[in-house]
Amino acid sequence: MGSPITTWDSVEAYFTGFGGATTMIVFLLAVAVTAGAIYLGHRHEEEAYSKLKEK
Amino acid sequence: MEEQIAELTAKIAELEASSGWATTIAVESFYWWCTGLMVIIHAGFLAYEMGASRKKNVLASGIKNILAFAFIIPTFFFIGWWIYLAFPGGLVPDFEAGAGGVPWSAAMGPNLADNATGIFWAAFALFAATTASIFSGAVIERIRLSAFLILAITLGSVVWILAASWAWHGDGWLLTQFGWHDFGAAGCVHMVAGFFALGVLINLGPRIGKYNADGSANDLSPHNLPLAVLGLMLIIVGFFGFLGGCIIYNGTDQWTTIFGNPATLSAIAFNTLMCFAGGIIAAWVLTRDPFWMMSGALAGIFGAAPGLDLYYPPLAFLLGIGGATAAVFGARFIEKVLRVDDAVGAVAVHGIAGLFGVVAFGLFASGYPNIGDAPDTSLIGQLVGAAAMFAVGFLPGYLLSLLLKVLGVLRIPESAEVIGMDIAKVPVSAYPEGTEAAMPA
Repeated sequence: MGSPITTWDSVEAYFTGFGGATTMIVFLLAVAVTAGAIYLGHRHEEEAYSKLKEK
Repeated sequence: MEEQIAELTAKIAELEASSGWATTIAVESFYWWCTGLMVIIHAGFLAYEMGASRKKNVLASGIKNILAFAFIIPTFFFIGWWIYLAFPGGLVPDFEAGAGGVPWSAAMGPNLADNATGIFWAAFALFAATTASIFSGAVIERIRLSAFLILAITLGSVVWILAASWAWHGDGWLLTQFGWHDFGAAGCVHMVAGFFALGVLINLGPRIGKYNADGSANDLSPHNLPLAVLGLMLIIVGFFGFLGGCIIYNGTDQWTTIFGNPATLSAIAFNTLMCFAGGIIAAWVLTRDPFWMMSGALAGIFGAAPGLDLYYPPLAFLLGIGGATAAVFGARFIEKVLRVDDAVGAVAVHGIAGLFGVVAFGLFASGYPNIGDAPDTSLIGQLVGAAAMFAVGFLPGYLLSLLLKVLGVLRIPESAEVIGMDIAKVPVSAYPEGTEAAMPA
């Protein structure tokens, strides 16, 4: 990660990690976290509804 | 003399440079504020969905609505913008055209050479979230949150944007081959979201208590109708941002539509207000119900949305009446004949009124020239587009929800539905002690 530029002269894309492998790693991490959150939501529902059945 | 000319030339060059920069800033600023206004749509959807819920589900409905917004934004970044750029030709992606939309490309982040991509992506992400919110209201009080999120992401970050690539893109096949015109996205946003919701509702089934054994329907009253009505008015406020996002401002001497024809914001102002008013009046005459009056306002806008840039304002007013009338009778048909429980009338207000608007454009605004080689606007073009929008909305909604139903993860258990989702799974309560007893369950 970090800065992909050393000067602001003639700069185009300048977001953290641009042009390096870390961009893809962060992207994949973001996808995984998004999918993981849905899974956690599903698990929370399963637990909540199971508890309800037990009552 | 030569010195003076050189000085003058330098001054002109300086002025031109500063004017170009001012234009860039103005373009960015315009879409920035349109996007900000569109967030109000979601404040409205949140209020209206919670108000339309019964007391026992109010927070669960709010959570679902907020999460639809939250999950659409990253997923639209991950895949949505690429779909929009890559699929204007149909179902086969154009990888070259889509290259600027892959999430690791130079355009998809801070870039001093690109003042456009982020701001257009943001506006489209808000359109995407709008489609998910439209769907969200229809399925309240019995859908599993995780199933809803999968369906909402599919709608907002895949399905609608595929439809937008076909029907709301300068190279979209509906424009280039059929002369399709739909200024305000009645097709790719409203028809697609409305009929996607219908496909899901068929598999989801009605709420417990909605229908009697003889098939007659019961009214499952909203727990807070004033909140729902206010929410609908907020959606209308946000729609001015939505419609601002439908017009292209590229710093030239005139606005254009997304289809390339010249347009003015004045035209949109005339016609949006006229069809909005027509929708309210029609729904008032037909129902006397404030919830439906404001839903009629939305349906009125969708009834005229495809031609907001072209219509004579009194025609927009009449089409607003037509859109709202189609929505009111459509909702009755869906509830009483199809026996589909759409809690907020989303299928009728968005799907049927959107369909009315798309077809009405073909009836009342055929023959307008398109830019380049695209054919003129026509009824046939609108009918082909309407069929495509129905199919691209309904089929994914029906098939994916059928799969989730078969897997047993589409609907909450009966015990949770009876006791209410707030008690079943939300760690806080909506109302303080002492106020709940005064409200309907």
